[in-house]
Amino acid sequence: MAVPAALTEDRIYHYCPPEKLDFETTETLEELELPFGQERMLRALEFGAGIKAPGFNLFVLGPSGAGKHELVRRFLDSHAAEQPIPSDWCHVFNFRQSDQPRVIELPPGDGRAFKSDMNDLAMELKTAIPAAFESEEYQARIQELQEEVARRQQQGLFAIQKEANANNIAMLTTPAGFTFAPMRNGEVIEPEEYKNFSDDEKTLIESKVEELQKKLQQAIQQLPRLRKEVQERVHALNEEMVQLTLGGPIGELREKWAKIPAVVAHLDAVREDVVEHAEAFQDNENGAPAGLLNRYRVNLLVDNAETRGAPVVYEDLPNHQHLTGQIEHRAHQGNLYTDFTLIRAGSLHRANGGYLILDARRVLSQPMAWDSLKRILFSGQIRIESLERLYGLATTVSQQPEPIPLDVKVVLLGDRTLYYLLAHYDPDFLDLFKVEADFEDDLDRDDDSYGLYARMIAAMARALKIRPLSRDSVARLIEHASRLASDQKKLSAHDRVLKDLLSESDHWAAQDGCDKIERAHIEQAIDEREYRASRVRERSLEQISRGVVMIATTGEQVGQVNGLSVLQLGATRFGQPTRITATARPGKGQVVDIEREAKLGGPIHSKAVMILSRFLANRYAPEGELSLSASLAFEQSYGGVEGDSASVAETCVLLSAITGVPLRQSLAVTGSMNQHGEVQAVGGVNEKIEGFYRVCAQTGALQGQGVLLPASNVEHLMLNREVRESVRSGAFSVYPVTRIDEAIELMTGMEAGEPDRGGQFPEGSFNRLVADRLVQFAESGKSRDDSTDKDNGGSNGDG
Amino acid sequence: MTDDQQPAGTDRGRILILLDGSRPSLSALEVAAQMARARQAEVLGVFVEEVSLLRSAGYGFAREVGASSGVVRPLDAAALQTRMRAQAEQIRRALQQALATSGGVQALVHCRGAVAEEVLNLLQPEDLLIMGRVGWSGISGARMGSTARRLAGQAPGEVLLWTESRPRPQCRVVVLLNHDREGNRRALMAAAERARRTHCPLTVLVRGPETGDPAILAELQAELGQWGVPARIRQLPLESPESLLRVLQQERAAELVLSRRGSLFGEQGVDMLSELAMPVTVTP
Repeated sequence: MAVPAALTEDRIYHYCPPEKLDFETTETLEELELPFGQERMLRALEFGAGIKAPGFNLFVLGPSGAGKHELVRRFLDSHAAEQPIPSDWCHVFNFRQSDQPRVIELPPGDGRAFKSDMNDLAMELKTAIPAAFESEEYQARIQELQEEVARRQQQGLFAIQKEANANNIAMLTTPAGFTFAPMRNGEVIEPEEYKNFSDDEKTLIESKVEELQKKLQQAIQQLPRLRKEVQERVHALNEEMVQLTLGGPIGELREKWAKIPAVVAHLDAVREDVVEHAEAFQDNENGAPAGLLNRYRVNLLVDNAETRGAPVVYEDLPNHQHLTGQIEHRAHQGNLYTDFTLIRAGSLHRANGGYLILDARRVLSQPMAWDSLKRILFSGQIRIESLERLYGLATTVSQQPEPIPLDVKVVLLGDRTLYYLLAHYDPDFLDLFKVEADFEDDLDRDDDSYGLYARMIAAMARALKIRPLSRDSVARLIEHASRLASDQKKLSAHDRVLKDLLSESDHWAAQDGCDKIERAHIEQAIDEREYRASRVRERSLEQISRGVVMIATTGEQVGQVNGLSVLQLGATRFGQPTRITATARPGKGQVVDIEREAKLGGPIHSKAVMILSRFLANRYAPEGELSLSASLAFEQSYGGVEGDSASVAETCVLLSAITGVPLRQSLAVTGSMNQHGEVQAVGGVNEKIEGFYRVCAQTGALQGQGVLLPASNVEHLMLNREVRESVRSGAFSVYPVTRIDEAIELMTGMEAGEPDRGGQFPEGSFNRLVADRLVQFAESGKSRDDSTDKDNGGSNGDG
Repeated sequence: MTDDQQPAGTDRGRILILLDGSRPSLSALEVAAQMARARQAEVLGVFVEEVSLLRSAGYGFAREVGASSGVVRPLDAAALQTRMRAQAEQIRRALQQALATSGGVQALVHCRGAVAEEVLNLLQPEDLLIMGRVGWSGISGARMGSTARRLAGQAPGEVLLWTESRPRPQCRVVVLLNHDREGNRRALMAAAERARRTHCPLTVLVRGPETGDPAILAELQAELGQWGVPARIRQLPLESPESLLRVLQQERAAELVLSRRGSLFGEQGVDMLSELAMPVTVTP
């Protein structure tokens, strides 16, 4: 089998030829109308924004910082501009049930006019009604009424007085009422003198007094009825005056708002209420109570007078109150007080008839916000409920505004994990968010995409208000975008990372006094970022150079190989070599994964070791017993080990331990392997190669060191300049391997050997050596079993 | 002109205030206190235990019919006397309180008899009598009580029949003049005082040709100007109660001042007065 050739420089880096970009600077580039490479998401947005059926709200999935919000906002703004402007909504006093304010829908812009009309009406009522009560006409009529009452009241009493006087009986007033006494010549007779009257006279007088008392009693008892009648007549008069005063202004308003029956009905209710409270307006000194007049005002909840198209609202603090609206309270003399004018709209109200953009994580982190949002979307109407009522903490009487019908499209933005978690755990979620708009992380890199990507960068530069980029710098940025995507055929679409890089490059360009961003500034920005994050990496390298962490990069060693791992710290990640060692002796066909035994290995790693052990058994002892007791360990690894990217390295080191053939320490290995010995792709290859390169480079001159990686990973390579230069000079090599045998040959310098028809490996080959050694193990294991059996008198026991 | 300045020639008699404990009489007490302060006059409160009432309570069959409820209950002489004593005490306190701020001299005459007679006995010609237009009889809806009617007609001096009225904007004090020059002068002075007290302009109603003489009118104007009271003179077309009522309405009259000697002040005139829901000053 031929050993795979080391990769050339052009295979480990996908350059962007500047001639692919036909511009001098990004200043001349037009902006993209639609973001490129996001067709799937755009189609989802288009569909989601357009479909009218209930529950078709959107969830835009993508990593944070990918520019979801900006893109969705841009799309919705242009989409909504062609939609009709939604209605205005206002709350008015409910004269039948004062704690349930009514809602009125008005054509956009009419809300303001209605509010102003009602304010004017209230002001007019304040002055016109007292004026009507002050008028001579009213005063005269009320005086007539009062006089009539007095007359009628007196008539009864005078009649009795007259009758009493006619019978020589005086009717006297006491502080509390009336009394009767016999009189003569207009004066009450002395009681002593009265005693001299004859019994007949006395009887006559006393019976007359009694009769008069009864009549008086009857007359007095008629008075409340009389007073009530008068009150009614005064009230009727007041009503008449108010009706006459209101006739003009309310009539005009009725005519003006005739097209909206709800407004007309409200005006009628206002008229009735004013008439009912006519007396309250009579106070000329202070005018009508403010509370009374406030009832005629309008709380304009949603004003779309200046809205163009459908509204697109982004709620940056999506708590319960901000979403559903709230009822505020005013403190008045130590009491909390509220009315319909203190109802405040929420973002759902403002977005009604349009689109509401929300950050899913923020909604979920606010108490009750998610539940309230779902409740409202399910019910199709916005009902304002205070949080304390929802929690049952307050039972005081409050306002319960009439709900407002809802027609809004909610667009949630969130990462994929959140979407899948919600879909899994919240049974309502998929009923309400039926449209999934998945954001593309990476874009295809081909000849067509260069120009589009450059225009996207130009748009970013403009949005950031930074210097334009030169053609060279865009080419460098495109190369870096591939590195960010870890793929020669992809470009990163991560908005935040690219924008940060542009801003930093602009900073360095400013330091240089350049009026545009050059390639060197992009390079500097990348290097500076890397340097800023390099403290841990440098410490790790120092530990290796000082021999604290043992890594050999020269010579050969049995049962020892350099594996490669990647560490992710915050936004940066870097690779470093790890020594993997193996031991082998005869045994029961088991490979001990020390990491797993120590509970430091993850399940994928364990799986990889199991695959490895089955590969050994299948390949080298397909029919016989695999007598092997081997162990594998990641030396000086104190954290967990996870992943299968070390399985090629583990296979090599295990076979070295079995055969005693040394492995080249100048090569590091990465790649996973299946049960047939095929090498499979792994992640983080760039970081791994660069990590090993740095370790080799710091030990002195490079002497043919290199890395073995899965051939299927070659197109993921976007290695840095230092590695590329060393590869060009041949000081460092990268070998693509497709099968385990290729790795064995590279690591041992021996031929691996293909089995013949009988399954025998050729003499002198590495595989033959393995097979023979395993046979030896089996025999030595068997002889030991035999001797143990003898020792134990034939009983079974483990050696 | 300050409140304490008086038109020349004002008689400085006492102010008698007739008190019976009813709401109108207590309201009149406030006015009396104000006027006493301005005139720096002595105030004499008068409370008369009405003898006919005491007599009537002496009858075994005497009953009191409640003015509001119509309930009939026995009227006992002892209880009535106790009630009257309490009333007198209450009145004394009210009088003291009303005059405490002005520091005016005050006394309460507590006597027994017929109210009008007792008051007439106490009155001097230079005294001002202030009383509510109705006393307890107001509860029956009467506009002017019998005592008020009698005293307005028979008192030797000035009588202010007080009634509470709602303040109205742009209202005026109206004084009605007649042919009697001396009587007119007294009425004008009283009217000027009321105008200053109420901060209302004055309307002088004259009935020609006796009073409509331009020379007399010019003299009047000059005198009013001297007192600093804004005034206008108006002709009364007919000397009838109806005509007066009409003019009073047109002038938005808040108070009326008229002389007892005028032809409009007779039995018919007093009936007319009872129709007016405003304070009326009757001058000698």
